[in-house]
Amino acid sequence: MTRTRALIAVTLATLVVVAAAALVPVARAADPIKLGFGMALTGGLSANGKPALLAVEIWKDDVNKKGGLLGRPVQLIYYDDQTNPSTVPGIYTKLLDVDKVDLVISGYGTNLIAPLMPIAMERKLTVMGMFGLANNEKYQYPNYFQIQPAGPDPQTSTAIGFFELAARQNPKPQTVAIVGADAEYPQNALVGARELIKRYGLKTVYDKTYPPSTVDYTPIVRAIKATNPDIVFVASYPPDSVGMLRAAHEVGLQPKIFGGGMVGLMFTTVMTSMGSMLNGVVNYDFWAPEPPFLAIPGIKEFLKEYQARAEKAGVDPLGYYLPPYSYALVQVLGQAVEATKGLDQQKIADHIRATEFNTIVGKVKFGKNGEWAKGRTLMVQYQKISGNSIDQFRGPGKKVVLYPDEFKSGNLIYPYAAALK
Amino acid sequence: MARTLPALGVGVVVVLAGVALATMRVNPYLYFAGYVILQYVVIATAWNILGGYGGYVNFGTPAFFALGAYTAVFLIRSIKAPLPVLIVAGGLVAALLGLGIGYLTLRLRGTFFSIATLALSVVLQTMIINWEYVGGSRGISVIRPSGPPFGNYVVFLFTVMLGLAVVAVLVARFIERSWIGRGLAALRDNEEAAECMGVPTLRLKLFATTISGFLLGVAGAPFPYYVTFVEPNSAFALDYAVNALAMPMIGGTTSWVGPVIGAVLLGTTQQLATVTISSELNLLIVGVVLVAFVVLAPEGILGLVRRVRGRI
Repeated sequence: MTRTRALIAVTLATLVVVAAAALVPVARAADPIKLGFGMALTGGLSANGKPALLAVEIWKDDVNKKGGLLGRPVQLIYYDDQTNPSTVPGIYTKLLDVDKVDLVISGYGTNLIAPLMPIAMERKLTVMGMFGLANNEKYQYPNYFQIQPAGPDPQTSTAIGFFELAARQNPKPQTVAIVGADAEYPQNALVGARELIKRYGLKTVYDKTYPPSTVDYTPIVRAIKATNPDIVFVASYPPDSVGMLRAAHEVGLQPKIFGGGMVGLMFTTVMTSMGSMLNGVVNYDFWAPEPPFLAIPGIKEFLKEYQARAEKAGVDPLGYYLPPYSYALVQVLGQAVEATKGLDQQKIADHIRATEFNTIVGKVKFGKNGEWAKGRTLMVQYQKISGNSIDQFRGPGKKVVLYPDEFKSGNLIYPYAAALK
Repeated sequence: MARTLPALGVGVVVVLAGVALATMRVNPYLYFAGYVILQYVVIATAWNILGGYGGYVNFGTPAFFALGAYTAVFLIRSIKAPLPVLIVAGGLVAALLGLGIGYLTLRLRGTFFSIATLALSVVLQTMIINWEYVGGSRGISVIRPSGPPFGNYVVFLFTVMLGLAVVAVLVARFIERSWIGRGLAALRDNEEAAECMGVPTLRLKLFATTISGFLLGVAGAPFPYYVTFVEPNSAFALDYAVNALAMPMIGGTTSWVGPVIGAVLLGTTQQLATVTISSELNLLIVGVVLVAFVVLAPEGILGLVRRVRGRI
């Protein structure tokens, strides 16, 4: 009797185990590979976050059209981080523990990448950063890779081309005014600018910051004009970039070279609203519709697709700033997954660290702290812009690349006043 | 008073349950979401001591919260102080601010007091933006100490925040049932009459701002370790002001249970909305719910319950 019972018990137990084993999900060939991220779809950075999301979606569709990654379709899982860093820990834990994503990329911007770093490090994830400035300097986490081409020395990267161009002019400009907002990026850029001023032996005649909430920039610009500088370097966020430029035109500030680190001037809405006021401004950028960039394979197809879909989605209609890089970021990740033939985070990271990737923004090789091994922050000058039509910005000639030399597509109109004519 | 002991007992049981939950290591996301909700329990309870019991609406919640957070940042950066020290110090500094602000502004009444507290937040944020040592406008990354209890720092923070929430609620409950609470209620209804009846209104108000400030600071102190990156815009986020006000309003402002109900309901809804629908809807949800409650149930859920009971 006891034997029969024991037999029944054993049989039942076996059945339970088998049933349980059958319930455990096993990754099948058709199971999607999940890519998770938070993105600024509302809040201060959403004007860039939405185009970035669109670029990632285009990549997903492109990959899936070709049969997916490792033969599995790619699925995106993303949440709105509201441009608020305090939402990031919750979002990524949800992605990793509830949604069980296989791969993660960061949201857009330095402040939204920062809270992701400890989570990635704790779980030893490979994490791709989307436009963060020096996020990894403190952590030096080896599996972090960042797609903004600032290069190994992020702090001076914004300003170096600007001062290099100024130094090449004859006679060499002597005095410099630097100004910027009391905020994360401008402060970093100004630190870099100060270092470069020393390096190029220039004389600072004005060095001040203003609160980000400033609405009237004419007093600031007047104060700068009073010091009569040869060079004016501005590090600003979109609202103040526009404010400074308008004020410069109102007050008639005409140094020999003007611009530098003005975020936002390259945004389509700003370009069309500012129109000819942009002429002559020398500013940093990462991408321009100039021959050296348009020649890179894949970019034209991407932009065509992007511009068609952007119109429907109501986001940045040209997509010349962040979207190509967002696409390149997931391209790198996808190529690494294919090459390592799996989703092992460490293997993927090792591969990314060791490989040079071909992307739609060109060859990408990562170096120290996961930044680009060699920086590629451009200096462009807005030239011959007339009126406010969007079409003039589609092709080459309006945003001429001056620096670095290997991407040069035109010449600097110098001094600034000459470009205004 | 006689019911203080059982309440303490319940508090201890809740904390123990939290510790048990922490050791179980269920899905880590629960701890993350739970931390935020508990943080709001503390914030809403703290706000309610001044705003609900005393009737002084404080829009400066982010200032106190961020002050707690930035005190912690300062102590982490300067002496690598352990978490308990951060919490006490964050609370004390915020309490001092509460006391100071009480002295300066409590002569103002009604809307004027509220406007002054709103300004406080702006002033403090500007100061932090210009203070490089704690990150200034750039923000600062905070590295968590290694080897936390329960093996995971957020799980640890979750239990700490649970403990703080229990303490905050017990303090609020004690105030509500003591002569302090009755005094505050009197001055909420009619300050002149209360003063005439011998209620020490100024002292009570100062007490309420100080305690409220202390608890808000306490809620903010673990924040740097939770997000690991502190910058002024998120530490001084308007969400804290809106939620601190909305949660007690929705739960009911006259009792300690109100803010707890409000925080748990609204906090959970927001957490769910963030990861399901869209956080675009987040503040909208708060707004709609708040308007609905102000119009339909001005005394919150508690008032609603009372009304329904009264009818039966």
